[in-house]
Amino acid sequence: MSEEVMVSVKNLTKSFGDLLVLDDISFDVKKHEFLCIVGPTGCGKTTFLNSLTKLYDIDRGAITLGGQPIDPKKQNIAYIFQEYSTMEWLTVEENISYGLRIKHVDKQTARQRVDHVMNIVGLSKYANYYPRQLSASMLQRVVIARAFAVEPELLLMDEPYGQLDLQLKYHLEDELINLWQTTGTTVIFITHNIEEAVYLSDRILVLTNKPTKIKQSLTNDLPRPRKVSAPDFIKLRNEVTDLIKWW
Amino acid sequence: MKIKLKEMGNSLFFSLIGIAAILILWTLGVKFTSVGLLLPTPLEVLQRMAYTFSNAIGRELTLPMHLAVSLRRVVIGFSLASVCGVVLGIAMGRFRMVEAVCKPLFELVRPIPSVAWIPLAIVWFGIGETAKTFIIFMAGFVNIVVNTYAGAKQVDENMLGVAYMLGANEIQAFFHVVIPSCVPYIFAGMQVGLSTCWMAVLAAEMVSSTEGIGWTITAGQENGDMTQIFVGIIAIAVVGLLLAVLMRWAERVLCRWRVRGK
Repeated sequence: MSEEVMVSVKNLTKSFGDLLVLDDISFDVKKHEFLCIVGPTGCGKTTFLNSLTKLYDIDRGAITLGGQPIDPKKQNIAYIFQEYSTMEWLTVEENISYGLRIKHVDKQTARQRVDHVMNIVGLSKYANYYPRQLSASMLQRVVIARAFAVEPELLLMDEPYGQLDLQLKYHLEDELINLWQTTGTTVIFITHNIEEAVYLSDRILVLTNKPTKIKQSLTNDLPRPRKVSAPDFIKLRNEVTDLIKWW
Repeated sequence: MKIKLKEMGNSLFFSLIGIAAILILWTLGVKFTSVGLLLPTPLEVLQRMAYTFSNAIGRELTLPMHLAVSLRRVVIGFSLASVCGVVLGIAMGRFRMVEAVCKPLFELVRPIPSVAWIPLAIVWFGIGETAKTFIIFMAGFVNIVVNTYAGAKQVDENMLGVAYMLGANEIQAFFHVVIPSCVPYIFAGMQVGLSTCWMAVLAAEMVSSTEGIGWTITAGQENGDMTQIFVGIIAIAVVGLLLAVLMRWAERVLCRWRVRGK
């Protein structure tokens, strides 16, 4: 992993009215790092990601990507939301190629990338289906494929696998690691599933309850591919669990 | 597929039974009761309808020509109402300033029935085509604005977030997300708007006109010609039905994504 800083967050503060949600958060994410963010339920993880991407106006702080202020219009970023976010007026194929169309990627390259990611998420047979015709897990696969297709410098994922069945979740976790390793993307992945965080990450940021601060940053240098039954894996998982416990 | 065809066949069969029952009751009523003094038989209406297809009602226009005159008025008024209604509805739904300025005014205009505009239209525009277009416009405009506004208000902000995160600018997000999200609502408004425009043209023609399907009904009333009135009413019903079918077809084509299953 490169030591070059990809994302830099300085003094990020966000409140809704009188409710302070994010309290002066600062951290860096290195280029090609896989960062997982975990925290207690309702601690503001999604707010954290939405503030990071400026979907929410922040009260204070600075966020840069590659040294420049973060700007999705200028930088290649993809965001997978927690909720299904397929555009229901576009077919599966059109949904997946939407980002490529916006970014004016040439047709041949776009075609190859769309075919590739559709194949990975097992949607090739459903290319001409509309979202209304798909099951819940297929909808989320479309969203994941759309994010992968743009080969982003920064991929933000907000509990993307929470609504998928276990088999598909494991498959897509491995695919995500595969894509991350082959494309050099930097990933910020929010999850409430500690095992998932330990399985995927290079580093885990543990957040506190509101007003949210960073409780601890844990380096995860377990060898890949990881085994969830390995003693080191279980040790780290327990360590993170202890940090999140509020009871 | 076979089951679907069978279901459609059953539905058509029962619809035809309903229509046949009404026609039989109507005929029996006319033949054997005093209703016959007020109503022609269905057969007489059909015969007259066939006759007026090639013979003039009034000075020179046949039934299809009168229908064409009314349809032309509806198409003009409805098209203007659609364009203005969609633009205003989306602007009100997406821009707070426009909403703040226009919504109170619109809420004042909204409850006014289209026929209430007839006297004003005549005073403002005379008894020519402009007055009729205005009345038809007002009838369709309100429904289209209401529905489009509702659609624009309900655009999924997450979806806009997706577009922005993938690099879309405001204009791209507007055309790629806001407009498609509103399309079903726009169609719902246009469906209702089209039928109210069709009602309005008849009202406008009944008040001041020398041609059009509304005028044929008024002329029938003035001449005590019940058959002609019925011919006009049935022509209105058939054309209204055809317009509704046409709109539904257009919606199915343009909103294919809303249809579940293959």
